[in-house]
Amino acid sequence: MDTIYTKPKKHFLAIFSLLFLSFFLSINLVSAQDGEKIFKQNCAVCHSMGSNKVTGPGLKGLMARVPGEEWLLKWIKNNDALIKSGDAYAVIISAFDASAMTTFTNLSDDEIKSVITYIKDYKEPVAATPTGTTGGGAVAEEKGVNPLTLLIGVIAFLIIIVGVLRGVRHSLKNLQNEKLGIPEEESVGPWSEFKIWVSTHKRTTAVAILFIVGGLLSAGWYSLKDIGIYADPAQHREYQPGQPIAFSHKIHAGENAINCQYCHSGVERSKTAGIPSVNVCMNCHKGISKGKLPGGTEEIAKIYDAAGWDPEKGEYNKPSKPIQWVKVHNLQDFVFFSHQQHVKVGKQECVTCHGDLKEMTTAKQVQPLSMAWCIDCHRKTEVPGMKDNPYYESLHKKLAEKFKNLPRDQRKYTVDKMGGIECGKCHY
Amino acid sequence: MNKKVTQIISLMAVFGCITIATTSCGKKDPNSPGVEFMPDMYRSPSLETNMAYVSIQNGKETGDTLQANRMPVKGTIPRGFMPYPYANDTAGYANAGRYLHNPFQKNEANLAEGEALYGKYCVHCHGAGGEADGLVAAKLSGPPPSYKGPVLMALPEGKMFHSIYFGKGIMGSHASLINKAEIWKVILYIQKLQYPNGKEVAAPVADSAAVAGVKVEVKK
Repeated sequence: MDTIYTKPKKHFLAIFSLLFLSFFLSINLVSAQDGEKIFKQNCAVCHSMGSNKVTGPGLKGLMARVPGEEWLLKWIKNNDALIKSGDAYAVIISAFDASAMTTFTNLSDDEIKSVITYIKDYKEPVAATPTGTTGGGAVAEEKGVNPLTLLIGVIAFLIIIVGVLRGVRHSLKNLQNEKLGIPEEESVGPWSEFKIWVSTHKRTTAVAILFIVGGLLSAGWYSLKDIGIYADPAQHREYQPGQPIAFSHKIHAGENAINCQYCHSGVERSKTAGIPSVNVCMNCHKGISKGKLPGGTEEIAKIYDAAGWDPEKGEYNKPSKPIQWVKVHNLQDFVFFSHQQHVKVGKQECVTCHGDLKEMTTAKQVQPLSMAWCIDCHRKTEVPGMKDNPYYESLHKKLAEKFKNLPRDQRKYTVDKMGGIECGKCHY
Repeated sequence: MNKKVTQIISLMAVFGCITIATTSCGKKDPNSPGVEFMPDMYRSPSLETNMAYVSIQNGKETGDTLQANRMPVKGTIPRGFMPYPYANDTAGYANAGRYLHNPFQKNEANLAEGEALYGKYCVHCHGAGGEADGLVAAKLSGPPPSYKGPVLMALPEGKMFHSIYFGKGIMGSHASLINKAEIWKVILYIQKLQYPNGKEVAAPVADSAAVAGVKVEVKK
């Protein structure tokens, strides 16, 4: 420092200015890593590094297109001003697309330069592991061995073994007889031997027949229970139909913690919770085109197909078509059920009736949806906000009068106390 | 004696086999809703929401299915519907920023409702604090702009409304999910996130397009 500033009284100023300069430089010195960071934070949401259009054009071959780096700097900083200044290329590309690009007047020149450097030096990552493309695209399901087939297999195997052993025993015996000079024993078929065994073991046969008949009868009796459309998890009866798109509740509601109501937005305003229309899928999937699981990308492509979205050009240019989802929870026509009433007023959680969908891939029916199940819940569940809701004011007074002589633990304002199990409430 | 023991054991084995055989088919086909003894009004003759129906032509069932959910007749409007006066283009966006204002008061009830709606419809991308750190935002190619960034801090409420109503960038339109009143309440809550100390929201700037010439998606 002395070499620069010879006057001692300026030392302080020199050190101060150097410190100031280094501080200034340290915040302004933007490296390529910062370029990547700035790009990801400000640009990546609209521009891809490939040639596909997201909201803005893809940046592949950008440097060959634009007039120069200086121009690009001006364009990124304030494209609006550049267009207004009458720059020839800016006017051309602004006419090309009706949507305007955000101005980045908050970024410094150095920051923008680092972004340009990042774009220039960007190399496409080599696809190290090509994503497994399963033909059907559906998420592979684990298939357990059916115990019945296993049993039949074991029985068949035993029969074969018994047959082989019988043959071996027969020929061994004949060999021995030949040695001893006894005439050859006639081969007896297994069926006639079985008949001989039955005729000599009458009591055992009778007991066995009793067991077999009893087993068949009980099996028939239990199978009668299968008649009727309802789910019973205890009996492994869970209706879980396959859907046209392998949508996973586990990924969407579980991992990404998207609220159920984002897609089923009718639940608080309507009788039905609603199946989301494809534009709701596109709210996120416009930006997410690659699936996490094998086959996921193909499933997302089905959404694009239904929405008529062209992911390469980034626009809706094809005819849209409906997705025919399969309804899982069916109620008979003679039952009235309103989601609005249960969720908005009754403050019931989705999980109460639909199970923990955060853990399910495909939605399944986990509750029987039988009348007994409804009534049971209506008897147990207390109506929230009963005391504060003016709608229930007179009813609350009447019930308070009625409950006067009851022990405290029985004074519960459950749904059935206010007519929740009247026939006409649900059947009319 | 020994023979009897073997007999009993073999009998038990036979019975066990039968029991396994009859109970092992308990796992039903997940695609089948169950056996119907007789039509039990599961299929309503009147059209129910979200159901597929067999198309009947000339009195005969055809292979096609019809969804009960249909597009409304062209020109249909819901009750109490007010048309939105600003077009989905750059000029409409600028005009919305200039002339559109929140009809709702910034009071506790509206803010609470806005917060609840924000938690359902916005939080997974924009994050709990509006800093674009939602779980879904991490999966996008780039995060949405933070509410606390310079561009969005200066964004007039009319432009916020326009963006939610028509969508913006890769964000789609949310008009089918929340109605106009709800959008305004969400905006109240977003402004609270931006200015937690209740600072007066910046008045719409004269040349708002120059301040925040944010991109508007235009359907061609």
